[in-house]
Amino acid sequence: MPAGYTDADRLTAVGRFLSARNLTLQYKTGEYLVTAVSEASFGCEQNDRLVLLGPSGCGKSTILKAIGGFIKPSAGEIVLDGKRVEKPAPDRAVVFQEFDQLLPWKTALENVIFAIRNTRKVSKKEAEEEAVAQLYRVGLSGFEHRYPHELSGGQKQRVAIARCLALHAQVILMDEPFASLDALTRQQMQEELLGLWNEARFTLVFVTHSIDEALILGSRVVTLSPHPGTVIEEISVRHSHDLARKYPEYAALKERIESILFKDQLEYTI
Amino acid sequence: MPDEKIELSRWERMSNIGWLRKTVIVVALAVIWQIYAVWLNNSLMFPTFVDTVKAFVGAFASGELLIKTGNSLKMLLIAYAIGATLSITLTILAISTRVGNDILEVLTAMLNPLAPVALLPLALLWFGLGAPSLVFVLIHAVLWALTLNIYNGFTGVSQTLRMVGRNYGLKGLKFAFLILIPAALPSILTGLKISWAFGWRTLIAAELVFGVSSRSGGIGWFIYEKKNQLDIDQVFAGLLTVIVIGILVENVLFKAIEKRTVLKWGMRH
Repeated sequence: MPAGYTDADRLTAVGRFLSARNLTLQYKTGEYLVTAVSEASFGCEQNDRLVLLGPSGCGKSTILKAIGGFIKPSAGEIVLDGKRVEKPAPDRAVVFQEFDQLLPWKTALENVIFAIRNTRKVSKKEAEEEAVAQLYRVGLSGFEHRYPHELSGGQKQRVAIARCLALHAQVILMDEPFASLDALTRQQMQEELLGLWNEARFTLVFVTHSIDEALILGSRVVTLSPHPGTVIEEISVRHSHDLARKYPEYAALKERIESILFKDQLEYTI
Repeated sequence: MPDEKIELSRWERMSNIGWLRKTVIVVALAVIWQIYAVWLNNSLMFPTFVDTVKAFVGAFASGELLIKTGNSLKMLLIAYAIGATLSITLTILAISTRVGNDILEVLTAMLNPLAPVALLPLALLWFGLGAPSLVFVLIHAVLWALTLNIYNGFTGVSQTLRMVGRNYGLKGLKFAFLILIPAALPSILTGLKISWAFGWRTLIAAELVFGVSSRSGGIGWFIYEKKNQLDIDQVFAGLLTVIVIGILVENVLFKAIEKRTVLKWGMRH
């Protein structure tokens, strides 16, 4: 298979390691029963980088929360490694978009230690050593003893990523973690995330509304349409990330995704 | 090229220190008080600042004011402890069930506006003249403001933080103690501060009304007694004590707690 993107990648088979089957997610407001996601099916293999891509209102974050176990499906199921997802657990570590996901009363190091000590039985010393190592991996050595409010947005997200790595989760779930960052930091974080993935393969589920981000980060992209959220298409992106943005196939694939996402609209702007 | 940082003048730096500016105001008030009292020359109506301070020091040295202050603080602390326990129980009920939530909202809406002193006659009827009546009224003074703030604090904890806690598999009391309570600490401290101030005011007022609660009474009773004996500088010394304790608790005790917690963590600025 040559580097770049192949067009014949419509995946009908559902992945085995993590899969959503006919997933329907609903919530109640005071007056309505709202269907956020309707009969969504998709999946991925171990060490895939699955991206959920779609405009706001397509339920991509809701799906991620369901994988996290925070929302119970009204119908269908999510299966991870043969086990049905029932409730939140540290085997599915989550990085959120919001900067307030760190415990503000704990330093960067204490945040990571807290995650380790509450999910595994390890000595204080071991937990601390691991936390220091994980913070080093995300490039935060020297910032261990800062409180979250003393860190920049990008640094906070790095701590959140370090915390997730420290959980040794089966899947890392990321809900638009770079959306609130400035463009330069975002690009840097995307590259670093791929670096981390290259270093120690893990299964990643990443939610974004940016086609570029999806193509840079994803090995598999699930496109979603809104109201209610449904899966339009699953696309496999076969390339190594450092080739992204440089290949002509990139533009072609981007155009294809755009046509999928915006097929109902005559004109669109990004 | 100009320097990146230039030191401000000493005067400008000093004028940026909050406590220094406030101390200047306090000193100015004391000077105005002294001048006015000397000019008025009527110690029965308005003793000078110096006389008040003398009476203050004397009353503390003799132990009289110290004991009375101790009595008052003891009453308030008892009520504070009971109030806080009730408050936490109510709040936990309120966040865990919808009925509990409704009960809390109805109770606070009804009872929060009810001035504690208005309950005094009833308290006297139920508990007689003495400490229990005082504590009853004080609990009422402390409870609602505290409950309202703790409740708001808990409900205000962001969904993200809650999900982080649940992601670690935290549940029940562990979740409450490791996530909810520290995350709600700014509101909890505000509640403790407001309810302390409410309680302190109510205490002095209640003591003025029914005086001898325990054997020797509190500061409120001291003020009332000294007014009857026409020891007006002692009355002023009593009032000064009320103010000083208020300031100490608010600006020393609570400030110190806040500096070590919510301010250090950037949860309040």
